[in-house]
This record gives sequence, structure tokens and C-alpha cells, in this order.
Amino acid sequence: MKAQTERVAGDAGAAVEPGAAVTGTVGPGAHHEHEVWRHRHILDVDDFTIDEIELVMATAAEMKEILSRPIKKVPTLRGTSVTIIFWEASTRTRVSFEVAAKNLSADVVNIAAQASSVTKGESLVDTIRTIEALGADMIVMRHGTSGAPYLAAEHFSGHVLNGGDGWHAHPTQALLDLYTMREHLPEGTVAGRKVVILGDVLHSRVARSNIWTLTKSGVDLWLCGPATLLRGFERWAGATIPGSATFTVTSDIERALEGADVVMALRIQKERQESGLLPPLREYTARFALTRERLALASPDALVMHPGPMNEGLEIMPDVATGTQSVITDQVTNGVAVRMALLFLVSGVRDVE
Amino acid sequence: MSSRALAGADLAIGAPVAHLELDGVWAVDPAAGREGPADLVVEEGVLADLEWHKSSGARRGRGRTTSDGQRHGLVVAPGFVDLHAHFREPGFEDAETILTGQAAAAHGGFTTVCLMPNTEPPIDEAPTLRTVLARAAESGIPVRVLAWGAATRRREGKGMAELGDLAEAGAIGYSDDGAPIPVGLLRNVLAYAGMLGRVVADHAEDRELTSGAEANEGLIGTILGLKGWPRSAEESVIARDIAILVDVLGSDSSAARLHLTHVSTAGGIDLVRRAKAAGLPVTCDVTPHHLALTDEWLAGARRWSWQAWQDGPDRDGSGAPTANPWAGDALAGPPYDPALKVNPPLRTPSDAIALLAGLRDGTVDAIATDHAPHTLVDKEVEFGLAANGISGIETALGIVLVAVEAGKVSLLRAVEALTVGPARVLGPAGVPAPALEVGRLADLVLFDPADGWLVSESALSSRGKNSPLLGRSLPGRVLLTVGAGRLAYRDPDLA
Amino acid sequence: MPSPVAEREILSADEIRRALVRIAHEIVEKHGGTDDLALVGVQRRGVPLAYRISASIADHERVTVPVGAIDITFYRDDLSMVAHQPVVKATDLPFDPSGLTIVLVDDVLYTGRTARAAMDALMDFGRPRAIRLAVLVDRGHRELPIRADHVGKNVPTSREEVIKVRLRELDGMDEVVLHRLAEGDRP
Repeated sequence: MKAQTERVAGDAGAAVEPGAAVTGTVGPGAHHEHEVWRHRHILDVDDFTIDEIELVMATAAEMKEILSRPIKKVPTLRGTSVTIIFWEASTRTRVSFEVAAKNLSADVVNIAAQASSVTKGESLVDTIRTIEALGADMIVMRHGTSGAPYLAAEHFSGHVLNGGDGWHAHPTQALLDLYTMREHLPEGTVAGRKVVILGDVLHSRVARSNIWTLTKSGVDLWLCGPATLLRGFERWAGATIPGSATFTVTSDIERALEGADVVMALRIQKERQESGLLPPLREYTARFALTRERLALASPDALVMHPGPMNEGLEIMPDVATGTQSVITDQVTNGVAVRMALLFLVSGVRDVE
Repeated sequence: MSSRALAGADLAIGAPVAHLELDGVWAVDPAAGREGPADLVVEEGVLADLEWHKSSGARRGRGRTTSDGQRHGLVVAPGFVDLHAHFREPGFEDAETILTGQAAAAHGGFTTVCLMPNTEPPIDEAPTLRTVLARAAESGIPVRVLAWGAATRRREGKGMAELGDLAEAGAIGYSDDGAPIPVGLLRNVLAYAGMLGRVVADHAEDRELTSGAEANEGLIGTILGLKGWPRSAEESVIARDIAILVDVLGSDSSAARLHLTHVSTAGGIDLVRRAKAAGLPVTCDVTPHHLALTDEWLAGARRWSWQAWQDGPDRDGSGAPTANPWAGDALAGPPYDPALKVNPPLRTPSDAIALLAGLRDGTVDAIATDHAPHTLVDKEVEFGLAANGISGIETALGIVLVAVEAGKVSLLRAVEALTVGPARVLGPAGVPAPALEVGRLADLVLFDPADGWLVSESALSSRGKNSPLLGRSLPGRVLLTVGAGRLAYRDPDLA
Repeated sequence: MPSPVAEREILSADEIRRALVRIAHEIVEKHGGTDDLALVGVQRRGVPLAYRISASIADHERVTVPVGAIDITFYRDDLSMVAHQPVVKATDLPFDPSGLTIVLVDDVLYTGRTARAAMDALMDFGRPRAIRLAVLVDRGHRELPIRADHVGKNVPTSREEVIKVRLRELDGMDEVVLHRLAEGDRP
């Protein structure tokens, strides 16, 4: 979905046609070619076209090449100021974005908002205005409330990248997951592959964003977990969304894992038991954890993935997490490359208003 | 209507209307059950003459302004009655005061407004009620203000408020709106209120089912990652309230009456329909935003409920139709607009369609705005943290006219739901049935269906700018509102 | 898309071939041989040109001079172009440029910014002993103090004109044409 500030000027209220050339807002001497990339922000992947996803994949591949060089740096974002502000705790994603931005020679300010006195008691809008006044060109943010990045984008003249908002979206994670799958699957494609997302789907922004990217990529997608944590997804599966394939929702873990090419386990949080959604988590582990035995139901080369951080012994067994089929550490490496790609791609989109 | 029709053109707000002549306007009088072209005269604040034109079967033409500046196709109706509004005074004057609320009401064509008691202090005792009514009377804006008394002390649900004293001070009924009346007390409140001849309005919400809820439980809420507000939270309470009413009627007071305010679900409307069919004294109101807006708007859709329905509803897993804004090109605005966060939440198009059907067939007695102004501080925040409520008293007529233009309800029926319907809900403790009655103090609204107005912060008189329709044009510019024979509102461009 | 008024041929296929042969000879002559020499084509059209020059050198020197390719997208100094040309092509340097004489090969030399970016990119891979520049067409209008060591053809142009190089590896034919931009597309 687009923030108000991504809409083409003079088109108040009208959506931009995918792939349409945007005229009148480009630099001198530019050819008005067919514009492949229109995103000024990265808020969600729900409106990414197949072409745009391919562009991210190709750009990330080039970024990986940079990461293999002796000097892992290019001057692309030199002079660009990137402020990373996370209202929700996360070391992995926050550092990943910082590394990505620095590899592009950007200047990075990293704020852990839950600890910062600058933001205590301050409204989100005021915080964004302060960050803008401090000269930020880009904001990378993670927030516990769904939709927060859209509010930020309304009040910021630069670029906003969503590092995760509430239960809603985690676009960079979905893209790095896709990249990792393509890197390891035969022929470098996910089309026709059986991918299983296993666990607390209801509260998972990783699951939601992956649904968009994977269904657009022609995956045979399965969501599996306890019924209370799949609430509402059967309805989504039944809705016809153009450009997206349908997916299967089931609590039958054996049927879900059978012949799977990719199994992505999601983190389960203790709060789910406390809020009455589940019995004591021991039962979750017994029925839904990704164990060696369950993994054996999948294809012998099936990839094991997890967005992290993991609760080893709870939703995924340690031997599976570190086993030969696990590509979890590749996800982390690819995360830097994909984030570099996204920072690069949005940087060129001028203010369209 | 000509420029000389309003004698004393610089009439101040609050001044009696000395002379007003409206020729060839479309008069709508639901109390008389008729509408049609008519001539109307107000003299010294009283409706002195009303002459219906002879032409039978006349159809309301398209409004237009001719080259000599004359407007044609204007509509005159009795001043609207709002059963449910929040004017925030005392306690939350940053969001609205009684004065600014009355100004907003008049701009919206309302000459009577019934205030909910969730102020600070709440209207749970007679002195507070009297203070509120006095403030309204001395404001200088002739919009009649009535008040619901709280049903329980401080609206805390732990004991009955002084219902008798409140009735004597002028309360039209009782409600804890914002909160449901707890099951234990509802029985007793219904009985006691019946004894006092007052209706009880319940905000039907099971708070255990809605804890932390952000948006209607449905496709949109799932995709947007918002905690669901299940229909069962409203439907189960409506069913329970009706069952309790039956017991009250049987054992405590045969005069008990139950009103369900801001019903938002198809199931809720159905329960009311069945209760009425069984002859029970149950009434209900719906808001304009629940008729015309849906949870799709949270994703960025900006089409009316019936448009989402017509554009080919999807069917969900259970076979029930559900709208899917990702399927068309309907995502035209920004998602997660906090102006859309309201209690009860905006529901699906199929709910809205059911509400419209209920309005047409009389299940819905009244359209009430649930005008809920909020400050920017409370609204310009992350969606899940935003205060609930839509500032809607000024946009109600516009939304209703959009529905009329789309053929979803007749103008006569819509005006009935804004005038006679609410009066009927309140009964003798409320107001006399609004009508274009010769000899009565003039209480009317004149509007131009063909002239639109842009909903903007400056165009809204309310302090509450939290309207999801900001930036949109609505039809039905109000030209004149007259309350109890005095001028309540006049369009600035009116000569 | 800019609609060309008329295209004028600057170099025919044969003229391109002769120019490349001459450039190949010049490179070897200037370097005094082929030791520690390498060619790096600038994406996109510099790359097939670099391969052709290497093949030509192999013809007359019986030595294969290594060829690499670099994409300068990440080294551009004008990010506003990203939205229109965001597609990144491969950078592939199968050798360490340190200590070598690198000849950068590109199709058109204009403002000089691409060449500058190419040098920055190259130097992130190592420390060449020397960098030279070979271009098929030099159209003037330098904005930086850059000059080409080897030029196929000098073509004075105005800013309203565009030079289009077509190569059979990418476009199915060999030619260099000149045309004027249509009114609305001019800078």
C-alpha cells in the first residue's frame, strides 16, 4: 500500500498504474523511459510487481559481489544521512541495516528508542520531525504498532524503510528470504516449490510479507500452526488477489511438511500462552516444533529457515537449526545485501510532490 | 429561492427570523408522509404558510443555479434530530465545547442534539445535567440540546445513577455510552427507567472480546495485521439485552424500552428486526459512517460501501461475500488513517449493505451521528493508539445524500430517520415529532443537493477535525438552519 | 521514448571494425607490448568492445589480454538517474588490477563522469600501475578534466543531440548514429 507522499502529484487519490512512466519530476536531460522502480519508501511488499521483485533480486546479487570484495564499500550513498530508529528491540536487524548503509558509504545514526531519552514520551510524529530537522535523508524504523511507518512517511520528506511494524509487514525480511531460497534451490527459482511457514502466523509480520512475495512468485505456499494462531488466514487464502496465487492453511503438520522444499519456522512467544491463545507451550513444542523427525517428512534437500531470533528447543530443535539443511546464517548475510539493494533503489526516487 | 427571500440579509445567528419566503422548493415532511414542490413562508419565527403545489407525481428535479443567480431544486426539511453526539464539555474542551458543538450541529442541519454523558464529570447527577443544559441555552445558537443521563454512577457500572433526579432535571433517557451497561445492572436499569418513562440506550460491546481490538475482524484486519474486533462482541450483547428486556417486560415494568445505539453488524440488525417482529419495544440507530464507509478504507480504499459491493464481492472461505480492495484499483488513499478508528469499528460492505436494508425497511429507526470530536494529539498517532471516534455531525447530511443519489434509500425515508424516527425513539420525554407544521415555531433546514462543499479543516465548525472525509466533496450544502424560529446557521455565500 | 527526427550515420559497421583494429594497435604500441596489460569494459557497451579489442590484439600479437567488466552504477554522482536506470549489471574482474596497466574501454566519452566513476570503481579493487581510456566516440562537452588516450572517432555534438551506439552482441547490428532529441525531451 502506498503512503500519501508516494502518490504522483496532481493525481490526488488516484493510484499509479504499475509500470507507468512518471513524467515531469526527473532531473535534467533524463529520458522519459519506462520506469521500472517507483518506490520512494519501502513500507510493504504487497504492491511490488514481479519486475520490481526481480530488480531487487538482481541488485542484491550485485551487492553480494561488493561484499566479496577486499573493500566492501561503494560510495553510492556518500553524503546521505540514514537514521535507524527501532522502537522495538532487535539487534540483528538493526545492525544489519547499519552495516548495509555503511557499506554504501552513508552516514548512520542508530537510535534504540526504547532506551533513548530523546524519544521518551515524545509522539511518533514529533520524533520524526526531530529526526528530519537533524538532517536525515532516510529513516529505517521498527515499531510495535501496525501502520506506524505510514504515519512516519506522511511527515517525512525523505525515504522511510520499514524494518517491521507490529504484526503487519517486514518487507526486507521477505525479500531476503526469497533471495535465500532462490540461492539454494535448483535452477535458482522458487516457482512450483512447496514452501511451508510454520508457527505463530497470526502475530507474524514475517509471514504476512512472505505471503505476498511467495504467492507472487508462483510458490505452492502452506501455512501451518495451531488454529488459534491461523485465525483469519483461511479467509485471506480464499480472497482472489490478482498477481498472487492462493495458499493452503492447515493445522495438520504432517500434511504440510510432506515433500516440502522449504520449511520456515517462526518464533513463538511466551505471551501467546499468557493471553489465552494456547495451552502451556510444552504442548506447542510437542505438536508443532520443527524436529529432526518432522523435517524428515520434507524433501531430503529441503531448506530450513528462521527469521530469528530463535527459541531453540521451543519452535525449532537445536540440531535442526544448525544442521546441514539450515540456511539460517545465509539469511543473515543476504539480509545485508538485500538491505543495501533497497537503500540504493529508493535513493534515486525523487520527491514526487 | 431568490436573494430577497431572506429579509434582513445580515441576520445574526440567534436572531428571530422575521421573514423568510421559499418559493418552489422541494419540501420533505415525513410526519405528514409527503414530499413535493411547495411554497413556504416564515413570519416572526413561526411557520406561517406552507402550500404544496398541485402537481401530483412531481419528481424532484436536479438542482441548478440559473443565470440570474437563482438557485433551483433546493430542499427544505424539518431540522434534524441527532440522538447521539459528544460535545466533550465539561472536561475535554480542547476537543469541543457545547458552543462549538452547537455551531457544528447547525452547520450540519441539526436543530436538536442529544448529548451522551461521558464527560468529566460525567452527567450522572442532576446538577451536572442542569449545567450542561444551561450552557447550551445561553450560547446564543438556537440548537436545542438534550442530554442522556448516565445509567450507572460515574459510568463505572457498579451501581445505578440517580435516574429519578436526572429525569426531573430533563434527562431524555439513560446510557453509559462509550461503555456497555453491565449485564447485572441492565435488568434493573431497564425496569427503573421504564417506571420513569425513559428509554435506555445501550452501547452493545462485550469488552472481554474486544480487549486490544483495533479493526473489524475480517480480511482487511488480517492483512493489515490489526487485532480483530469480532462481530460477536456486538451481536452477543444485543441478543442478551433483548432477552433481558423480555424478562423486564414480563416481571418488572411493561413500560421498559431498549434502544441499541450505533449498531454496526448485519447480525445485530437482524436481531433487532426479529425483536420488532415479535412486538418488543426495541429501537436502534446507525451512524452515517457505518452506512457508507467500510473497513476497506483502512487499507486505503476510498469507495462507498455499495460500490465495493457492486464491484464484485469476493466470497470468503465460508461463502460469505467480502470486499477485496486489492482485486480492483480501489486503493486510492493512504492506509491506516487514524480518522477511521471508531467504536464500533467500520465493518465490511456486507454489513453496511445490511444496515442500508434495515434503514429502508424500518428496522433502523434513526440515523444518529455519534459525533466524536478529538484533538490532533489524540488522533495523529499510530493507528492502534488513536482515540476512537469520527467528527461527523457536519458530514452526516452529505453522506446520506450520497446514498440517496445512489438509490440506496429514498430522500423521504432518510429525512424520516433524521427527524421523526429519533423523536419516536425518545417518546414523550424527548421532543415533539419534527414536522413542517403551520403555526409552529419554525424548525427547519434548507439545503442544495446540487451544490457540493469541500470537507476541510477550515470548513468544519467543530473543533474536531478528525473526519475521514477531509479533502472530499460532499453534496447537500446547507444554506439555512432555523431552530425554534431563530437563525442557527447561514451559508456565507447566501445573499 | 524520445522520438528521433532523423538519424544520421556516424560510423558504419566497417568503420567501427577499422577503428577498433587501430585502437588495438595503438594500445599495444603505447604500452610497448602486452605484459601486465588488461582491458576493463565499462557496462554496458564498453564490455563487448573490450572483448573485440582483446581479440584483435590476439590476432596480431598472439597473446590474449585479459578482459574484465565493471558496472559503475554504485559510483555515479547523480542518484536521480537511479529511478530510470536502476538495473545493475555485473561487475566481473577475474584478475587483481594491482600493478597492471588497465585500459578502460567505453563506447562514448561525453562529460567524463562515467570515466571518473569507472576509475573510482577500479581502484576499490586494487592499485593499478596506470589507467588509460579507450573510447569508440568522443563527443566533447567534458565537465571534468578527463581525456581519452585512444579515440575511434571525434564527433563534435550539441547538447540537443544524442549519440547511439549499436553493437551486434547487444543490438543485433553495428552502427553509430546521431540524432536530435525531440522538443519535450531536451534538457
